Amino acid sequence: MDIESIPLFAMLKGKMGYLNQRQQVIAQNVANASTPGFVPQDLKPFTASKTGAGGGKLALAQPQPAAGGGDSGGARIALKGQDNSSAFAPVRAPDDEAQLDGNQVVLEQEMTKMNTTRSDYDIAVGIYQKAMGFLQMAAQEPGKG
Amino acid sequence: MADVNPPTDVTQVIAASALRAQEARMRIIAENLANADSTAKDPSGDPYRRQVPIFETMTVQAGAKGVHVTRISPDKTPFRNEYQPGNPAADAKGYVKMPNVDPLIESLDMREAQRAYEANLSVVETARAIQASTIDLLKK
Repeated sequence: MDIESIPLFAMLKGKMGYLNQRQQVIAQNVANASTPGFVPQDLKPFTASKTGAGGGKLALAQPQPAAGGGDSGGARIALKGQDNSSAFAPVRAPDDEAQLDGNQVVLEQEMTKMNTTRSDYDIAVGIYQKAMGFLQMAAQEPGKG
Repeated sequence: MADVNPPTDVTQVIAASALRAQEARMRIIAENLANADSTAKDPSGDPYRRQVPIFETMTVQAGAKGVHVTRISPDKTPFRNEYQPGNPAADAKGYVKMPNVDPLIESLDMREAQRAYEANLSVVETARAIQASTIDLLKK
């Protein structure tokens, strides 16, 4: 079983990819804090639908009748769309001040963005660990562990 | 398949290019400050002319924009004239052409370079922490 067929993991993968990419865009802004005429960039806010995780919602599929083999009934979580993560295009996002040489990077604002990215990443990693813990719990033999 | 580096590595490459550029800037500031009083040998010559680093965006890897010092150009501000009749570089009226270096501007510029350097260091630090937290997933 592919672990990304679980929407939560697909979503987390998308979010982590997004945060990594945002980190890179912010690094570009900080690196060019003294380049004349440089306009900082940023990524559009993250939406889970881009990762193919069913538009950010966990859709509850109709229970299937347990006819024949294959899928036994029970609530399944439907997965829609394709995975096209890492497809977040940077857009122009000038900071609040411009310098005389046309540079529009404000280091403080970039630092704030960077720290937000970092704590978001920590959250994503934390949720990933918890979700893995759930899977392990579910995979354990009853009464043991 | 030349560029398969993870984004955190690319981030660090970008920050490293900026660290180098800021270092070069600091070197030029040091040159300017050191020569703040370097006059010419005789009245016909020009004193030290202030240098300015010109930064430019540079593609360090596919899709990753770093920065570099593209050239160092002379500051076009006119020289100051100072009355020093005893100076060997003084003209007939006793004025000496002094370098167009203003120590105040240089120290402000230096502080800005320092701030930019620190900002880039913390980018490296954050990228490293993100990578470390991902690798830590393997240890659980």
